[in-house]
Amino acid sequence: MSVVVQAVPEVNPLQDPLRFARRVPPCAIVIFGASGDLAKRKLLPALYRLFYERRIPPNFAIIGSSRTAMSDDQFRERMKESVSKFLEDAPFDEDVWSSFAQCLFYVPGDLNNPAAYEDLKRKLDQVEKSHQTAGNVLFYLSTQPSHYAEVILELGAHNLHKGNGWRRVIIEKPFGHDLQSARKLNDEIHKVFDESEVYRIDHYLGKETVQNILAFRFGNSMFEPLWNRRYVNHVQITAAESIGVEGRGGYYQEAGALRDMIQNHLSQVMATVAMEPPAVFDAGSVRDERAKLLRAVRVMKPEEVPEYAVAGQYGPAKAGGQDIPGFRQEPSVNPNAQTDTYAAVTFFIDNWRWAGVPFYIRTGKRMPKRVTDIAIQFSSPPLGLFTQETKAGPREVKPNLLVLRIQPEEGISLRFLSKSPGSGMRVRPVSMDFNYGSSFGERTPTAYETLLVDAMAGDPTLYTRQDMVDASWQIVQPILDVWAETTFDFPNYPAFTWGPKESDEMLARQGHRWRIP
Amino acid sequence: MSTGVIYPAQPEQILKGLSKLWTSLGEEEKEHGKPTVLRACAMTLIVATDSEGGCFYEAQTISELMREHPSRGVVVTVCPDAEHGLEARVLAQCWKPFGKAQQICCEQIEITSKPDEWPNVAWTLTGLTAADLPVIFWCRHKAALSPSATEDERAGLQAIVNLASKVVFDSQDLEAGEAVKLISGWQAQGTVVGDLAWTRLTPWREPIANIFDNPARPNPFSNFDSVEIAYTDDKPSASALYAAGWLSAPHKAKVEFKKVEGHGPGIHRITLRSKSETIDFERTTRENMTLRSTNGRQREYTYPDHNLTTLMTEELAIIGPDPAFNAAFARAQELL
Repeated sequence: MSVVVQAVPEVNPLQDPLRFARRVPPCAIVIFGASGDLAKRKLLPALYRLFYERRIPPNFAIIGSSRTAMSDDQFRERMKESVSKFLEDAPFDEDVWSSFAQCLFYVPGDLNNPAAYEDLKRKLDQVEKSHQTAGNVLFYLSTQPSHYAEVILELGAHNLHKGNGWRRVIIEKPFGHDLQSARKLNDEIHKVFDESEVYRIDHYLGKETVQNILAFRFGNSMFEPLWNRRYVNHVQITAAESIGVEGRGGYYQEAGALRDMIQNHLSQVMATVAMEPPAVFDAGSVRDERAKLLRAVRVMKPEEVPEYAVAGQYGPAKAGGQDIPGFRQEPSVNPNAQTDTYAAVTFFIDNWRWAGVPFYIRTGKRMPKRVTDIAIQFSSPPLGLFTQETKAGPREVKPNLLVLRIQPEEGISLRFLSKSPGSGMRVRPVSMDFNYGSSFGERTPTAYETLLVDAMAGDPTLYTRQDMVDASWQIVQPILDVWAETTFDFPNYPAFTWGPKESDEMLARQGHRWRIP
Repeated sequence: MSTGVIYPAQPEQILKGLSKLWTSLGEEEKEHGKPTVLRACAMTLIVATDSEGGCFYEAQTISELMREHPSRGVVVTVCPDAEHGLEARVLAQCWKPFGKAQQICCEQIEITSKPDEWPNVAWTLTGLTAADLPVIFWCRHKAALSPSATEDERAGLQAIVNLASKVVFDSQDLEAGEAVKLISGWQAQGTVVGDLAWTRLTPWREPIANIFDNPARPNPFSNFDSVEIAYTDDKPSASALYAAGWLSAPHKAKVEFKKVEGHGPGIHRITLRSKSETIDFERTTRENMTLRSTNGRQREYTYPDHNLTTLMTEELAIIGPDPAFNAAFARAQELL
């Protein structure tokens, strides 16, 4: 019997991850939809910031592409305006911009016009030589979702999915409009790109505070033993926005809160909170555990939907002396729209750790404030030694509450009982608070900075995989189906309130109530 | 915002001073009606100096470091002209992050000691460390680090080292052998050590390491069996020794040191040789470095401005053991 010994590639013994910057290889980034909002508000400011901090190599190039006819210089001028306007927590530097602008190029063209891809190919060849991008290309689909499949198939048809270096594609959410369309989109993508080359971006997973959930859970030994059905009573995940649809009425009317937030961002956050510890911290293991968790979420039967899911839509209100329009009064919105601008869902995770523990997720527009947090409510002590007797009967003693604050005041707080000073054993809840700003430096990278560097470096840990997307569609699809057949009596909550009363009733049926974040 | 002089500089008095400081900052908050100040602390950072110019430079560096590494900063200045044996004052270093409404404030304590009080400084410091957080001691007391230090100077230094989870110093002004002796002594007692001479090597090390990242490289690092370090000082410095240790540790490559005229101080050129390729990384001017290989590749780098704030920022990001330094240091001891 002969044994074939394969040569094991040498691990570089000189690398020093504690001190050396994460290495990003030379590459060209092609942004489809470069004149759109996402590119202007998020992508270009993030790339500029990475350039400013020298976290991307000098030999890189950005090629914007969209229908608008523009020269390279006009594109640079437009992007300069956007970057200086939308740069977060950092000043704009003219000198740095001048160098950065030399890496910006533009190819005008219709996404369904094959000639545009030939132009793109020529431009890529040009920057590969002029900017020494080593043939590596990262395509970023920042277009209307309806164009995703078309662009990918055209990239394949023009052989742009192959070249001298690696090719990767970042796809923005939504990944499909429902389970069926998501699967169809995946099939189309896989005709051109291998799954290992596909980076489905969910910017929530790139947020430092969401990543910190993993560090908090698996880097500390004191919380994980309590992180299960024996000690956790229920979990509330809230993502509230105070703004309305801000000119996105046309898009939002078709999407709604459940599709826009719960199917992607919040189900991924839930998976991060509830997943099992991975055996090792690498992309495959972390994503396996997230996917496993999502597959364990109980899929509702149609008749269960009214009990476990609530749709809402904001109506007009007066705030700060101003008349605030309801959703149906927003521009480009159908005056009879049945869109959910608020959605609340009770999920159950059918595994040993979480059986019977409700995970309440709510999200909405025009709520009293902008806040995203996760509240883990622990069970009450088995014996109520400190229950307060009042004239109205025994007063509830508040159980422990651990709040992971994603935004805006990033941090973690733990509520517990403490004796009030003075005679007698009177207790009241107090809070132990950790604030990011008090322990770490001035600025944390934005989610897009983190995720763009990861994609360039070939690390998909914080990107969603096909099976994760599939599983998250499966858990919301029955709700979407039932809601599509329902005529709601909208609006059912005034702007700047915490949602419809049906949502409170949903929790009350389980003996719980929404906290005020 | 700061207090007046606190004398005697007893921990209790100093902590009272800090408490008063926060009370007055809290009163400012009340006037504004919402929280305007965030108190930040992730470590205690002690710096001791015997510089004739006082602690101005160290205090300024600490306040710059706080933005990235919020800390309770304690600056100890040993000064023969001090009015009292040991006196202190406390102040808050505050800044407003770009685009934020809330100020972030860190505590800073400045202690001035007459040289004969130096052995007792650690006693005061013991009561001033922030509970349960790392204590980093940045030693800039040159006399205490020198081989000719007096018994008292040594004792004062050792007492503060005993408090620290990590000691940072700069072996630039010491002979390599003296630096190795100091570090091995501290390491033997379980203290994590950072030497800024090693920190200065990062811009040399990173480009060299990156050459060997490609697993398909036809000539892998293990083929390079000879290392040459060209230096401009009279003798190979600790930096030169560490560079040699770092490059020769994985495969015990042969090491040579070579004195050259060039841009210094410190290392002028690092050369790696294999049978089929030679890689040179050299300071070509005061501001530039060139990395070139006999396979035809060449790349230019800017030689960085090694100011104390950037060096310390890198060092403070590593609170625990530093495996790369430990491996390089262990090999450097063999090469000495």
